[in-house]
Amino acid sequence: MSLTIALSKGKLLAGSEALFRRAGLPFPNGEGRKLVVAAGELRFLFVKDMDVPTYVEYGVADCGVAGKDVLLETGADVLEPLDLGFGRCRVVVASPAGRAYAPDRAATTRVASKYAKLAAAHFLERGLGVEVVRLAGSVEIATGLGLADCIVDVVETGRTLAENDLAEVETVAESSARLIVNRASFHARRAEVQGLVAKLQEASR
Amino acid sequence: MTARLTQVPPGAQCFVGEEARERRRIEEAVVSVFEGWDYEEIIPPLFDYAEVFAGEALASKTYSFVARDGSLLALRPDFTSLLAKIAAGRLRERPAPLRLYYSGEVVRYEPVRAGRQSELYQMGLEHLGGDARAADAEVVAIAAECLERLGARGFVLALGHVGVFSGLVEAAGLAPERVEALRERVESKDPAGVRQVLQGASVSSALAEAFEQLTTLGGGLEALPRAAEVFSCCAGAGAALAELRAVADALASAGLGRHLAVDLGEVRGLDYYTGLVFRVFAPDLGFEVGSGGRYDTLVARFGRPLPAVGFMLGLDRVALLLERQGRLAAVPRASAEAVAATELGAGLKEAVARRARGARIRLGNGGER
Repeated sequence: MSLTIALSKGKLLAGSEALFRRAGLPFPNGEGRKLVVAAGELRFLFVKDMDVPTYVEYGVADCGVAGKDVLLETGADVLEPLDLGFGRCRVVVASPAGRAYAPDRAATTRVASKYAKLAAAHFLERGLGVEVVRLAGSVEIATGLGLADCIVDVVETGRTLAENDLAEVETVAESSARLIVNRASFHARRAEVQGLVAKLQEASR
Repeated sequence: MTARLTQVPPGAQCFVGEEARERRRIEEAVVSVFEGWDYEEIIPPLFDYAEVFAGEALASKTYSFVARDGSLLALRPDFTSLLAKIAAGRLRERPAPLRLYYSGEVVRYEPVRAGRQSELYQMGLEHLGGDARAADAEVVAIAAECLERLGARGFVLALGHVGVFSGLVEAAGLAPERVEALRERVESKDPAGVRQVLQGASVSSALAEAFEQLTTLGGGLEALPRAAEVFSCCAGAGAALAELRAVADALASAGLGRHLAVDLGEVRGLDYYTGLVFRVFAPDLGFEVGSGGRYDTLVARFGRPLPAVGFMLGLDRVALLLERQGRLAAVPRASAEAVAATELGAGLKEAVARRARGARIRLGNGGER
């Protein structure tokens, strides 16, 4: 029986493909819109990035590639044996450029984010009141329109922030792509999982 | 009619007919194994004082309520605390070792995900007192027999010992906040995360290396001698490994080696477990089927210092595993003899007579054939 790997259809896809090919592992060749694809002795699931940890936690996929940001946000109970080194980015607090950022001055800071859990924890752990407005995307426009005081979002280069008159004020978390493994698969399919981990480790050096 | 009269509360479960029969059969098989090792059944109360269930992991998951006299009560979120209380209280005069088992529901506030429900049916046992290594080995062997008896394929008992991690922590003299962050990274088998947590802590390179090895060392029993070398820098960890090895060797000589794995990164429930810990995994199910371990300080909370070890299997998870492995041979409901009741008195008389002979009958009752 072959291992099932969950991959994100989003920004980590290109890096995942490059890594699997470098490791000499099978990878599907342009199967169009098919979401479950067999390649060699592996089976691939292409899903939304926030869903990768879920497929692995339930054991529907034995392994997956997910951003640390996503792992922190979903809190999935999975193993994380490898930092794959690509997809580096940071989750930050950004507030309107030129305006003072002072969450301690207000009883409640309103924060717009896709990362509702991370955003809430960031403020609450510092003893600051917070109201999180959960958005699915285009978070950068929330402050300009008066929906929120600041945003918590992921940045790679910072260009999108600057284009929307936002400035990074605090780092919430550092992120990169991780290989994640289901707890049961790790033991019950040890040889196959260890083989995959070893190949990916070698290729991600 | 309000929606509440039809809606099911999240996490509540209901089993009908075939499902219920399968669960009864699984429970009977497991209980017969427990009885076979001479464990005695305890049917503990459904609720007790909330303090009985104290403990970080459970406190936030307990359904508690205020009694009329103002005391705080809780629905049982686990059995082990209750059995510890009973062993230290009502059974205090009984000489150790005590071998006790239970089978029933516990209730927890738990987000419904990855095989967790709010109502869980647990089948488990506790071995209190007696020789610790013998008790450890016995309990793991019983867990293995239960799964064999149920026909589960490819199951693995992953053995660890919390003393390996806590020995290293003690040797490193780490601050508590760092210990929790480290525990969490070890639990996730994340060597990069372990390195990151240890950055800036004044820990010798040998110890830092040993912490990292906790995430990677493991596998078959052959990992144990290798681990002994890696952890030779720390007496506490070495002693824990020696205990683990004694148990693993005993199990291997009993022919159970093929089901065993070593997992030194098994560091959940450190406020509770004090020695051997293990979890049961199988292919076809993404989460553990059951778990157990040694808890030498719990019973003393109730006034009787009694070291103990136990384990439990989750009935819901066992049922799901057996279903996925095609091990639930459908047992059709026995067919019933129809008894006509055109004239109620005579029909009922006939039914009662046939029941007295032990027949399974179905009394005709309008509308039925």
